[in-house]
Amino acid sequence: MPLVSTNRLHKFYGKNHVLRGIKLDVEEGEVVTIVGRSGSGKSTLLRTLNGLESIDDGVIEVDGARLDVDHADGDTLRALRQKIGMVFQQFNLFPHLSVGQNVMLAPQVVKKMTNAEREGIARDMLSRVGLAEKFDAFPDQLSGGQQQRVAIARALAMSPKVLLCDEITSALDPELVNEVLNVVRRLAAEGMTLIMVTHEMRFAREVSDKLVFMHEGRIHETGHPQEMFARPATPEFANFIGSLN
Amino acid sequence: MISFSLWDIVRNLAIGGALTLLLSLVAFVLGGAAGLLVLFARIGKWRVPRAMAQMHIELFQGTPLLLQLFTLFFGLSLFGLDMPAWLAAALGLTLFTSAFLAEIWRGCVEAVPKGQWEASACLAMSYGEQMRHVILPQAMRLAVAPTVGFAVQVVKGTAVTSIIGFAELTKTGSMIANATFQPFLVYSLVALAYFVLCYPLSHYAQSLERKLHAAR
Amino acid sequence: MAYQFDFAFIPDYAGMFAHGLAYTVGLTVAGGAIGIGIGIGGAISRLWNLRPFGNLYRYYVELFRNTPFLVQLFLIFFGLPSLGIKLVEWQAAILAMVLNLGAYSTEIIRAGLQATPPGQIEAAESLALTRWQTFLYVMLRPALRKVWPALSSQVVITMLGSSVCSQISAEELTFVANFIQSRNFRAFETYFFTTAMYFGLALLIRQAMRLIGRHLIVRRPLS
Repeated sequence: MPLVSTNRLHKFYGKNHVLRGIKLDVEEGEVVTIVGRSGSGKSTLLRTLNGLESIDDGVIEVDGARLDVDHADGDTLRALRQKIGMVFQQFNLFPHLSVGQNVMLAPQVVKKMTNAEREGIARDMLSRVGLAEKFDAFPDQLSGGQQQRVAIARALAMSPKVLLCDEITSALDPELVNEVLNVVRRLAAEGMTLIMVTHEMRFAREVSDKLVFMHEGRIHETGHPQEMFARPATPEFANFIGSLN
Repeated sequence: MISFSLWDIVRNLAIGGALTLLLSLVAFVLGGAAGLLVLFARIGKWRVPRAMAQMHIELFQGTPLLLQLFTLFFGLSLFGLDMPAWLAAALGLTLFTSAFLAEIWRGCVEAVPKGQWEASACLAMSYGEQMRHVILPQAMRLAVAPTVGFAVQVVKGTAVTSIIGFAELTKTGSMIANATFQPFLVYSLVALAYFVLCYPLSHYAQSLERKLHAAR
Repeated sequence: MAYQFDFAFIPDYAGMFAHGLAYTVGLTVAGGAIGIGIGIGGAISRLWNLRPFGNLYRYYVELFRNTPFLVQLFLIFFGLPSLGIKLVEWQAAILAMVLNLGAYSTEIIRAGLQATPPGQIEAAESLALTRWQTFLYVMLRPALRKVWPALSSQVVITMLGSSVCSQISAEELTFVANFIQSRNFRAFETYFFTTAMYFGLALLIRQAMRLIGRHLIVRRPLS
């Protein structure tokens, strides 16, 4: 049984039909990259998976937690979100909290961990992203790359089953991109289930088990990245990779 | 006619000034507490309290303070409540203050970037947890400067209570001006007294504002 | 015995209410137009620190923003005659409105001017515009556009504040209400109705300011 599965997913912005029946299965340990032009619905799809965007039809299931149109209340969302971590383009660290507090906040208030437990987890996660020594720093004292690594640690501290990455290197200066990608690369190697939206095609080809090409609100083509890049099956995807270089 | 020395004038104005200060403090503290309730109703999830809070804000921001005092004063006396001027003044200013502070604070809550809501939602926090741990701490930092700034409006607002007969600074000034036939001197002193109360607050609010901008 | 509300007197006094309403509108229009004019002059004087206006404006703004309107009004109406300046009540009321709103507009418009992106001024300079041309053609409109909502709120606040002009017998709306309630002994109903009129007027002025903003400042819809 897949870890994450969506079926018949539809989403409208007013009259604009942005998701037109998405069926997507992600197995445990799989790394899935969603690509497509802007406006193709790729970010929207990612954001529906943990309920940041409401859906107008369909079902989302993550490790037994289920969300559909009629069951999208606060408790359902929170149950779903405990299984899903998310990292954003703009980091969204809490500016009034130190790095350590950023990571410890949700374990404290959502999981009700004790002081010692949550500090242990926070220190573990920060050393996983190579920032153990920044525990008492504040977000505005860190570089963009460091902030994004803290955001990853913050998501990991909730022990999610799957991590969503929404263009997490797009707001970074070019020289800071690799330190973040290296963290993601290591997570993938460790068997973390990842669903990403990214513009870093080389990276996507290297780490992904599955590539999903979105076009006009549908999954237009999907498969193994090496094969898809070598032999695009649809003219739209061929066009898309052609426009990258 | 009793003759007034400058000292007599100043001494009497000082008593009025003390009452102005006291009324301002009462209105600001009680109005702040009430404003907090209005704020939570206004930004909360329940529809009826939200509509009521909005009505409260629009009503008190959209009508003259003087008419609010009159309506309150005469309205409550219909219920047989004989209101002393000081009580009507304190009650009216408290309601007035609560509406403005609630609206100022709502602006601060809304100024917290949307990404903060999303990030905390993704960590499975409930609305209350998001508010308490993520949104309000940031909104409070933004709120300090405009709140101090509004304190100036409260102090100046107390002058209107002179019209319903509360013997604060302006009322005292009017009485002395009538008795001494030196309106220019007396009202200048009254204005000076308000300036002494308000200017430090204005100045402090501005420097807080600058500090906040510099930190961004 | 329960109190019987009675608003039946209102039509009898329709003429008086209309008079008071027109008076209040007049005070607001005069105060708003001249006050904003003073504010534009003050803002640029403060921004460029023009001598001697920059400093004069600074004292003026601080003085008027840190004292109650009612005291300003009393000082003008009761105080100025001892300096030989005698104003009748409507003159005093307008002067007070103008000076009060002028002080606030100065600060509001100054903030708008300060927010001009440096690139705009550099572009104007590189096109050889003078300082005043830069101000008039490049800085002023976007600045006014940016602060117009704040300016509109301030006009409404000043209009509501004008109710205290009743205290110097200016025959505005509150003065009329005071007069009527002393005649009919229906104080609550009179003040309640008057309050509602102010509320409606505040909405109207807000709307009028929106239209003025749209047509005078930008000739296309505000985005």
